[in-house]
Amino acid sequence: MQSFALRRGLAMSQSCEMTVRLPADLHARPAGQMVQAVAPFDASITVAFGSREADARSVLAVMGLGATADGAVTLRATGPDAEQAVAAVVSLLGGLGQAKTELQSAVQSTVQTQPSR
Amino acid sequence: MVGIVLVSHSSRLVDGLAELLAQIASADVPIALAGGTDDGRLGTSGDRVAAAIEAADQGDGVVVIPDLGSAVLTVKAVLEDGGGRSVVMVDAPFVEGAVAAAVTAASGAKLDAVVRAAEGARHVAKL
Repeated sequence: MQSFALRRGLAMSQSCEMTVRLPADLHARPAGQMVQAVAPFDASITVAFGSREADARSVLAVMGLGATADGAVTLRATGPDAEQAVAAVVSLLGGLGQAKTELQSAVQSTVQTQPSR
Repeated sequence: MVGIVLVSHSSRLVDGLAELLAQIASADVPIALAGGTDDGRLGTSGDRVAAAIEAADQGDGVVVIPDLGSAVLTVKAVLEDGGGRSVVMVDAPFVEGAVAAAVTAASGAKLDAVVRAAEGARHVAKL
């Protein structure tokens, strides 16, 4: 997580912006999961990568960003539940990383348990 | 949940696409297939399309996505026979339209939103 900004305006309006480093490529499957993760929220939310920005509710637009592991994506949401919508996406993206980290640590522990000669 | 029917000249094409949709969207989306003719050749079959619409219909509407040419005519003929239900044929690129429709349906969207997602697929840059 590189930056976090939350602004509360009038009672029902809120905007939230967060930049996260992708632990894994934002391919078809995670893009599909993202659309489903933001579905319960009313806020409008976008995902930006480089100079491109996609509606987080459009699986094709999110895939079209071509966002790859270690790249920074910026999530911007506006609406009554902007903060929760961004949190849901951050949690999803974090989960992708966790799966990768678990895999890496599994590989690592396999390596570490090799008997020494 | 809105159902999706994939209509193609090739049964293997719809099989592969359905496999992709289950991975990208959710296995919960009712997806029914009408690929090839009744005797296993390349082509389209009105009976298969009608049966697929029936199978995908959970009461929230069905989006039908044809691949090319005569698939469109076959679907049109079926819809003219069985009009009155919430079954909509969409003008969309086959793979992208199906992915957008399935993911949108998986998020619990209504029929008109699923139709918009499928038809909007034409305008989303791939590169």
